[in-house]
Formats: sequence, structure tokens, C-alpha cells
Amino acid sequence: MAQYRTQVRIIADVLSTARDMNTEGEGVGVTALLRKGNMSYTRMSKLLSELVGSGLLLELSGDKISKYMISEKGIQFLAHYYAFEDFAQSFGLRL
Amino acid sequence: MALQGDMALIGDMLQFIGVFVSFSIAYVAFRGVRHTESSSLLRLATAFVFLGFGFLVEAIVGLGQVVPSFSLSETTVVVGGLLLETTGYFFLAFSHAVDVMLSKRMGAALLVFPVISLSGTQMADVLSFFAFYFVMYGVVETLYSYARTKKPDTLLIAMGLSLIGLGTFFQWLATLYQYVGVLTLLQIILQEMGLLMMFIPVLTFRSMGGVKQDGPI
Repeated sequence: MAQYRTQVRIIADVLSTARDMNTEGEGVGVTALLRKGNMSYTRMSKLLSELVGSGLLLELSGDKISKYMISEKGIQFLAHYYAFEDFAQSFGLRL
Repeated sequence: MALQGDMALIGDMLQFIGVFVSFSIAYVAFRGVRHTESSSLLRLATAFVFLGFGFLVEAIVGLGQVVPSFSLSETTVVVGGLLLETTGYFFLAFSHAVDVMLSKRMGAALLVFPVISLSGTQMADVLSFFAFYFVMYGVVETLYSYARTKKPDTLLIAMGLSLIGLGTFFQWLATLYQYVGVLTLLQIILQEMGLLMMFIPVLTFRSMGGVKQDGPI
């Protein structure tokens, strides 16, 4: 069954993808984030700009394409998100 | 509700435990709101703020019976406390109701408990009945969540809510048969046991280190 994703859940999904797929430390491309994020390119671009602006993601500009890497602040955000998600789930709720 | 002597004192002490537990849960939930801007956590926090104040009012009323110089107009304040408590349970049930709507499921659980005629009953009876209804709705939805997540803490919350539900049922009976003081004490004990079970996620949250920084990220 399809589940409605809140904005904070979408942000957590993008950040966790940027963290988990950055195995070589060179960042993750938009295509990989799109594949995992399940949203349109326009929406993803806007979200990435916001996340870079708020310091949750770092933008690594290459010759042609930009790659993204989770920042220390992003890692903290994810830790907080999972802690509160666990708390909400205990009460049978979703964030 | 009328309790006498030592039983009243025990009941009051237990009510203060309820106040502490409710405000602790509300505090963690509010921190969650600040960090994640989650509306589910906001409703949870609101529920426990109302419950905390409801228990506080009831504890103060109880204290008024033990300490003579602390007298209050009991009926009005008891109804006020029950109103706060019922509002708290409403928000607790409402959190699940919104969750149900978001996932486009039908709130079939609402139909599990038949709506009975309430004509002729007093305000306190009505409030206690609604409190029971909301708590039981919360139990059904929390059990449904447990079936989905298989998370032990969720089962504990469902059990805690069940005890609170049983407590509110006794509270309802106690308002109908006011001479039965034991029912009130039993209600408080069950309610506090249920609340203590609901305190476990707060303890788990703390043992995981909680969240060190406050404020939105």
C-alpha cells in the first residue's frame, strides 16, 4: 500500500541516500538520488538547493555535474530524526 | 472522587506520578516537534499536556480533601479536570485518526465501539465515557501499528493504554456509583500503571542519548 511521505521523511530519505551511497567519498549524483528519492527532477533540484542552503548537504561541483555529500549537520539531523521516529513509532505514530 | 484517609493520600501521590510521566512524554514530544516539525508529535505532545494538567487538577482536588485548609469547589474542578483529561485522550486518539486518513485506510476501528445513548447522564459521566472511548480507539490503532512494525515498545504502549482504558472504565463506574471509593483507587492504580508503561519510550529515548542540541536544524 502506498504511504504518504511527509516533507521531513523525504528529507531524511535523501540524506540517508547521500550518506549510504557515498561509498567512495566522491559524493552522489542527482540520478542516484532521484532513483532512491522517487520524485521528479524539478522537485529534487529544488530540495537539493534547500538542503545545501541549510547546510545539511555539501555540493561538490565537478566539471559537468554536481555531486552531493552529507554534512556533519546532516548526519546529526538524521540521528535526531531516527531517535524521534523511534519514539513516535512506540506510540504507534509516524513522523 | 471521594477517597478517605490513607487511600486518598496514596491516590494523590499516584496522581502526581501521572503528572510527572505525562509532562515527561510531552516534553520529549515537543523536542521532537522542534527538530522534525512533525504534526504527529505535536498532537502527541498536546495530548500529554492536557493529560498532565488533568491529573494535576485531580491531584489538587484530592489534596483538598486531605488538607482541610485547601478546600475547593469540588464538583466544578473535578469536571474541569475530567474535561482536560478527556481532551488529552481525544488528541491521543486524534493522532491515530489523522494517521489513518493519511494512509487512506478507513477508520474501521471507530466502528468497533458502538455509540450508546448518553441522555440523562451527568457531565462527569459523559466525559469519563468519552475518555474511555478515545483510549480504546487508541488501543486498537496502536495494536494495528504493532502488527505492522512488530516493535516491542509499541506493544507496551498498547498494553499501557489498555490499563488506562480499564482505569477510565472504573472512573466511569465510580462517577455512577459515587459511594464506591475502592473503584476510584483502582482506577488511579490502573491509570498510573498504564502511564508508567508509556514512560518506557521516554526512558529508551534517554538511554539512546536523546538529542543533545535543541532547536530546528
